[in-house]
Amino acid sequence: MNTHLAPDLMLADAPPRRRLTRAQIAGIILLGLIGLFALLGPWLVGSDPAVQQLDRFLEGPSLAHPLGFDALGRDMLARLAHGARLSLALAALSVLSAALPGALLGLLAAWRGGWPERVLAALADAVLALPALLLVLLLSAFTPGGFWPLYVGISLALWVEYFRVVRAASRILLASAHVEAARLLGFGALYIARRHLLPELLPRLFTLMRFGFAGAVLAMAALGFVGVGLQPPTPELGVMMIELLPYYGEAPWLIGAPVLLLFLTLLGLLLLAPEREAA
Amino acid sequence: MNRRELIPALAVEALSVLHNERALVRDIDFTLPAGGVLTLLGESGSGKSLLAQAIMGNLPPPLRCEGRVSIGGENTHAADGASRHAGWGRRLALLPQEPWLALDPTMRVRDQVAETYGLVKGRPRLQADAMAQAALASLGLHDAAHKYPFMLSGGMAQRVAFLATHAAGAPLMIIDEPTKGLDADRRDDVLALLRAAQAQGMSLLCITHDIWLARALGGQLAVMLEGELVEQGDAASILRAPQHDYTRRLLAADPGSWPAWRATLPAPASSALVQLTGVAKSFGRQHLFSGVDASIAAGDVVALGGASGSGKTTFGNIVIGVTQPDRGRVARAGGLAPTAFQKIQQDPGAAFAPRLRLRQSLRDLVQLHRLDWAQLEALLARMRLAPALLDRLPHQVSGGELQRIALARVLLMNPALIFADEPTSRLDPVTQQQVFSLLLEQVQERRCALLLVTHDLDIARSVARRQIDVAQR
Repeated sequence: MNTHLAPDLMLADAPPRRRLTRAQIAGIILLGLIGLFALLGPWLVGSDPAVQQLDRFLEGPSLAHPLGFDALGRDMLARLAHGARLSLALAALSVLSAALPGALLGLLAAWRGGWPERVLAALADAVLALPALLLVLLLSAFTPGGFWPLYVGISLALWVEYFRVVRAASRILLASAHVEAARLLGFGALYIARRHLLPELLPRLFTLMRFGFAGAVLAMAALGFVGVGLQPPTPELGVMMIELLPYYGEAPWLIGAPVLLLFLTLLGLLLLAPEREAA
Repeated sequence: MNRRELIPALAVEALSVLHNERALVRDIDFTLPAGGVLTLLGESGSGKSLLAQAIMGNLPPPLRCEGRVSIGGENTHAADGASRHAGWGRRLALLPQEPWLALDPTMRVRDQVAETYGLVKGRPRLQADAMAQAALASLGLHDAAHKYPFMLSGGMAQRVAFLATHAAGAPLMIIDEPTKGLDADRRDDVLALLRAAQAQGMSLLCITHDIWLARALGGQLAVMLEGELVEQGDAASILRAPQHDYTRRLLAADPGSWPAWRATLPAPASSALVQLTGVAKSFGRQHLFSGVDASIAAGDVVALGGASGSGKTTFGNIVIGVTQPDRGRVARAGGLAPTAFQKIQQDPGAAFAPRLRLRQSLRDLVQLHRLDWAQLEALLARMRLAPALLDRLPHQVSGGELQRIALARVLLMNPALIFADEPTSRLDPVTQQQVFSLLLEQVQERRCALLLVTHDLDIARSVARRQIDVAQR
C-alpha cells in the first residue's frame, strides 16, 4: 500500500532548499569588504585623519595617498576609513538598541494583552506622531555635536516599528492552533517564544533591521549635513559630504568617496533581501 | 439526435503525468458524454487533482504529461496545455476546492461575478452587473450581492465561486472536492447546485473522496488508486457491486457503513471527569450558548451537537480549559496532570510549529516530560507511520499522516480526555476509519474520554455513546 504519493510530490515540488541566492552572496561579500574597511582601514592607512598638511591641500590621488588630500590638507583615505567606522558602528548600534527592546516589548504586549499592551501601544503612537528627524533634532538641540543624543534619538525613533510589527505578528501566532497545542502539551512561554514565534518573527525583524540600518546611516548623514549631527573635524560620512561639497568642481573624487561608500553600503543591505520579498 | 450530443464533452486518452521518469498518474482513459456526470473517486494522494490539473493544462513545472485530451471535440496533445488555456471559462471551467479561499477577499460578491461576464464574455460594465445580479438571484444570493467573501458562509461562498466560474458559460466544469470541509446541510446545497448545473446541460467532472456525493450524483463513476483507474462504469452498479478489491475497501470505509463502534466500548466510569454547570459564553455581541450543563466520565464517548456556528468548538475548549466561560462552573476531577486534557485539531497542518521538523517537535516534547522516545516510536509504528516522515516539515507530510502523528503526540501525554474537533473532516474515508479506530482503541485501553465534534452524522452515530446539545437555549 502506498499512500505517500502526495507528500513525495510536495517534496519534489518545493524548490531545492538553497541557503543563499546569488544576490545575497554578493551582498554579504560587499558588506564584508565595507566592514573590513571600516574595521581595519584606520589602522591600515595609518595616517591621522585630523593632521593638516596645508601645503598639500586638494592634492590629487597618488600611490601613497590613493584619495589625495582634502581642502585642509588631510589624508582623504584616512578620513574615509575613520568616517566609515564611526557611521557604520553608530548605525549598527542604534538599530540593535531599537530592535531588541522594540521586539521584546512587542512580544510582551501581545502576550500579556490588557493594560500593559494599551500603555505600550499609546506610547508607540505618541512617538510615531513625531517625525523621527524632529525627535533627533530636539535631543541634539540640548548637546549639539554630541554622539549620545544622536544615538539615543535614532533608537527612540526606530523602536516603534519593531514593536508594532512584532506585536501584530505575535498576536496572530499566539492565537494559532500550533501554539494552542503546545500550551496543552505543557510547553512554557519561553519554549513557545523560541520554537513557535521566533522562527516566524526573525525574517521580518531582519528585513526591518536592514531598512533601519540604511535609514540610520542616511539620517546621520542628513543630520550632519544640516549641522546638527556630529561636527567637523570629526570624520563622519555626512559631515565629510558637507565639508567637501564646495570642492565638487576641482576634486570630484573627494565628495565622491563618501557618497560611493554610502551607496555601496545601502546596495549591500538591499541585496541581502530574501528572494521572495525581492519584488 | 443532433451532432452536438454525439461529441463527448471530454475525452481523455492514455493520459499520464510524470515526474522525471516516475509516473504519478498512469494511462487514464475515459469519456464524458455531453451533459453527463463523471465522478472520480479516490483517497487523498491518489492523483485525482493532478489529473484535473493535467486536463486543465495547468500542471506545475517539474511535472509533464503524455496522452491526448479532447474537449468538446477539439483534440489536443495533453502536454500542450497552452492551447487549452484559451478555452478557460469559455469551454471548460474549474471550481477549486475550498472555494472560499479562491474568492478575492477585497472584492464584493457581485463585482466578482460581473468580472467574468465583463472580461471573459466581453459584456459592457452595466450589462455585466445586471447579469451578475440576475445570476446571484437565481441561486438565492440577491442579499449577498454587496457582501465581501468573508461575510459568507461556506455554502454561499461555494455558490458565488460557482457563478464566477460558470458565468462565461463553459459547457464543461471540473469540480474539485466540492464537499470538503462542509457540514451535512451544506452538502445538500452543493448537491442541489451540481444537479441544477447538470439540468442546464452542463457536463460535470467531479473529483471527490466523498462516497455520499458519488452516490447522490449518479452518472458514471471512476475509482482511482495510486494514479490508476482501477474501476469505472455506471455509478449505481459499481456502488452496489464493486468489482475491484480497493473499491470494496473504500466503500467499507465510508462512515455510512461503519459498524456501531459504540456498542463495543466498555461502559464509562460512574464518577465524572469534568462537570459543567450553567456554562455560558458569548463573543462580543454574538451570543453562543448559556446554561449548558454536562458531565463527562472516563471512558465516555460524547458527540457535541448543534448547527455550525453554534459554538461547539468553543464549548470543547471550555471543557479542556483553553477558553474560560463567561458564567458557570467547570469542575475537573482532582489528581489529574495539567496535560491530562488534550485536543486534536481539525487541520493537522496547523497544529505543529510550521518551521520545525517533526522530529524536533516530538523530541522537545519527550524531553520536556522526561518520557521515553521508544514509547513514541512504538506508537508511531502502531499507526503505521514510517520513522523517516519525522525528518520532514509539517507541510511536507500528507494530512492523514500528520493527523496520525498528532494523535500519537496526544496519546504520549496519556490523556484523561481528548477533545477531537472535526478530526477527520479533511481526510479520505480510509484514513478517517484508521484515525477513528485508533482513537477508540485508546478509549478502550486507557479509559480515556472522547469529546467529539463532527459534522458527519454517520460518524457520530457509529462512534458516540450520547450527544451533548450546545444549541442556544
